[in-house]
Amino acid sequence: MQRLRTVRCLLLLLLLAAPALCGAREYLQVFVASPYLELHTGPGRGYPVFHVVDRDKSVDVLARYTEWFKVRTEQNVVGWVAEGDMLHTVLADGSPFTFNRGDRAGFTQHRFEMGMFAGEYGGATLISAYGSWSFNSQLAAEVSVGQFLGNVSNGVIADIGLTHVFMPEWRWSPFVMLGTGVVHTEPKATLVQPLNRTEQTAYVGGGVRYYLTRRFFLRAEYKNHVVFTKLNSNEVVDEWKLGFAFFF
Amino acid sequence: METGIRVLFLTAVVATLCGCASLSSWIHHRQAARQAKEDQQTAQAEGDDTPPRVIDPQVERRKITVPKIKSQNVEIGLQYGALSIENFGTNPVYGFTAAYHITEDFFFQGEFGRSQAGQTSFETLSNIQLLTPSERYFTYYDLSLGYNFLPGEVFIGRKLAMSSAFYLLGGIGSTQFAGDTKFTLNFGGGYRVLPTDWIALHIGVQDRVFQSDLLGVDKLTNNIEANIGATVFF
Repeated sequence: MQRLRTVRCLLLLLLLAAPALCGAREYLQVFVASPYLELHTGPGRGYPVFHVVDRDKSVDVLARYTEWFKVRTEQNVVGWVAEGDMLHTVLADGSPFTFNRGDRAGFTQHRFEMGMFAGEYGGATLISAYGSWSFNSQLAAEVSVGQFLGNVSNGVIADIGLTHVFMPEWRWSPFVMLGTGVVHTEPKATLVQPLNRTEQTAYVGGGVRYYLTRRFFLRAEYKNHVVFTKLNSNEVVDEWKLGFAFFF
Repeated sequence: METGIRVLFLTAVVATLCGCASLSSWIHHRQAARQAKEDQQTAQAEGDDTPPRVIDPQVERRKITVPKIKSQNVEIGLQYGALSIENFGTNPVYGFTAAYHITEDFFFQGEFGRSQAGQTSFETLSNIQLLTPSERYFTYYDLSLGYNFLPGEVFIGRKLAMSSAFYLLGGIGSTQFAGDTKFTLNFGGGYRVLPTDWIALHIGVQDRVFQSDLLGVDKLTNNIEANIGATVFF
């Protein structure tokens, strides 16, 4: 009897969860406010226009790929609409459809950014990548990882810290950084000091970012690391790097 | 006479009472007057020339909840191919790729791959091993920028069209081989075709270049890889 009740309960739960399990998805509906909306066959400027949606007709927004929106019309025609054309659509309450775009305003204020660098870490060649999450247009938390390859030693570095951008609205915007991290050093086997070691570091640094176009910007930075060694004095390592980054 | 005096008193009392009765409403009257004056001042301050509202509309706005739009900018997948390690023959290579599509033209890609080197002709002839088995692993990673330079469509029959693109890749990374890790430049290209919006098939060729002094002379080595791969967008 108990088991039967459990089975019934489970069946009821399944029934309730069925719409979610079937992937019933609600799409955003927007209305065409310009004379017409062009649908392309693919997500790119070269793909031909194969369908046009009239003013005041609606489309469902299915997905987004870079600067293109995949939409479905009332007649079930599926195509791709350019980001610039989607600016001329409105929501059901008449308010304009707004979204995150890759432009100068996006450069000034965005949520995430990522980038890659080449540079120098204490005289060794450095390859590095970073990701950041912005609290507001000026303050961001950043994580960076890198590998340095030198004649004396190889190793990896990982940093976490805060970055403060001055004048984020400027095309050239300077920033300062402060944080902590670890460095793992593997001296080359031929040298006297063969032991690998992992040490904590702290850094202070600064740099400048330069908006290129769309979602891209260049970034050059300098970090002054203090490596807390087990020796009598701490080690100071300079890191210079230049790279490109993008925001989203 | 007495009656005349009474009439006079009564008249005075009635007049006084009437006055008091009318005085009692003066407070409200003054309040109303003050209120009207304030209203007028406010209206003047706002510069509102519109006539007073006859009907106050009680329209409830529809609240639109904007569902999140699914983005398909991230691509991850696996690849398998052949890697020609300079002096060490051609061997199978397998790898993992992850890419983020920034614009319709550019994407940022990270790759990780591994192969195992064979023997040099010297090793085959002399039966002397230059490397230990663990040193023969050729492990690389790189970070590259890709450019879709020939986007297009592929048609299969009358009804099926798939979007496609040739792309160029270039970037930096590192290669671990023969007991050392080297800074590596990579460049190459590939062809991508999408049977659906979220699956892509790839064919690619890439060259990884790094400085090596393994065989006595310090020189640039070219390690060319040809691979096929499958990725998904999400």
